[in-house]
Amino acid sequence: MIEVEGLYKRYGAVPAVDGVSFVAPDGKVTGLVGANGAGKTTTLGMICGVVKPDAGTIRIDGAASATSIDTRRRVGVLHDHKGLYSRLTARENIRYFGQLHGLSGAALEDRVQAVVSLLALGSIADRPAAGFSQGERMKVALARALVHEPGNLLLDEPTNGLDIPTVRTLRTLLADLRARGTCIVFSSHVLEEVSALCDTVVMLARGRVVAAGRPGEICRGAGSASLDDAFMRLSNGEGGSE
Amino acid sequence: MTSAYSIVARKEIVDHFRDRRSLTSAAAHALMGPAIVMLVSFSPKGQGQAMPDIMLGMMSVFALVSAFVGAMNIAIDVMSGERERRSLVPLLMTPVPPRDVVIGKWMAVSLFGLGALTFNVAGLVIVLAWRAPATLVAHAALLASWAILGLAPLVLLGASLEIFVAGLSRTMKEAGTSLTLVLFAPMIVGMFLVFFPVPDGWWSVVPMVGQQVVLDAGLRGAPAVSLHVVVLGLVTAVCAWGPLMAAARVLGRDDVAAWPTV
Repeated sequence: MIEVEGLYKRYGAVPAVDGVSFVAPDGKVTGLVGANGAGKTTTLGMICGVVKPDAGTIRIDGAASATSIDTRRRVGVLHDHKGLYSRLTARENIRYFGQLHGLSGAALEDRVQAVVSLLALGSIADRPAAGFSQGERMKVALARALVHEPGNLLLDEPTNGLDIPTVRTLRTLLADLRARGTCIVFSSHVLEEVSALCDTVVMLARGRVVAAGRPGEICRGAGSASLDDAFMRLSNGEGGSE
Repeated sequence: MTSAYSIVARKEIVDHFRDRRSLTSAAAHALMGPAIVMLVSFSPKGQGQAMPDIMLGMMSVFALVSAFVGAMNIAIDVMSGERERRSLVPLLMTPVPPRDVVIGKWMAVSLFGLGALTFNVAGLVIVLAWRAPATLVAHAALLASWAILGLAPLVLLGASLEIFVAGLSRTMKEAGTSLTLVLFAPMIVGMFLVFFPVPDGWWSVVPMVGQQVVLDAGLRGAPAVSLHVVVLGLVTAVCAWGPLMAAARVLGRDDVAAWPTV
């Protein structure tokens, strides 16, 4: 479970995140929604400890401080930029991150094989990542994020640049992880995708939470027929400052 | 359990052994010095009794530069290259402290640097053996201690400086430009001391200056391995720690993760 309370982050005079609070429970997909620059990515950066908040608290599975080493072991992250090592094979990329998360020996190899199977990477597992398609890169990056069996998964714009079959595969996988009790936080500005995937939505505009709840509740609260309309109404049609 | 820095180091070594372009470039840089020294030894101005001294003088400058240049491309790739390709962010999100990430990368860069230095020194020894065998025999012990206790620690220092400078750079191009400026240091020090040798003093244990002083003193009859040479080697290796810790602090900064796009 991820609990975020009163999170602030400024870059110079620009407030990137301005008092964001929300709870992402286990076994649910929580969507962070907002236009480009609304503060989604900065919020995720703070949750996984690579961006230091100016104020606020983050608890992961009840433990404070997202920057602590132990807390990081509880989180898997799929970043927008997949950042694979192109000269290493898919399996080597995954194995490297498993090792960095403290796995070794037979346990490591078992986990690597498990995520290779889970994401159907068998045919490309021993090929260098240099020639991978966007979809293949996403799958390897996701396998890398899951290799240490984190209880919490952060996904930053995971469907960017993916074709429809790969998006469907991702949806199926996320549904599977949700059923296993994983806490999933999913950032996106594609509201159709959010409606399809998320149990709860946290809408951000200019670094602030403008609405939170189930997609249907947000629509009813805003008096809108769709999440798109609700978003436009609640954010006054504005994005962010990024 | 394997330490985090050795995991990072092993990955970087495997990864960069597959980077044929960087390896070829490193080997070419390492062998450039011996090739030039050999050409000079054949030139009309390189003939005569002064030839071995000229060769040794040139050799010392090229070896000094080689200690820095050898793994420069790899240092750029492991730091600013990772930043540019955005693979640094997932790495920093693992439970590995930035200090261990930096130490692992430094170990790998140092290994490639030592490989390049070995190429360079071996090339120079071959050229000396061919063109001035008596000089090589007379100074074999000096040259060995100079390379092992002087130049090898300098590779460690060079790698840490390169890691730090490349860590500050957002792109590989920016890192290449900055490191080209850093490279002037060994070149200027080497060239200056060839033409204006300095007498012994506290500066003889200052990295880069000390390496040249050791060679000069040895050629003037000082013992090949002395307390001075050992202290110089230790001081040079210890000096590598500062830039490494500074690089670890750089990796801890918000902007290095380049996560926000504000």
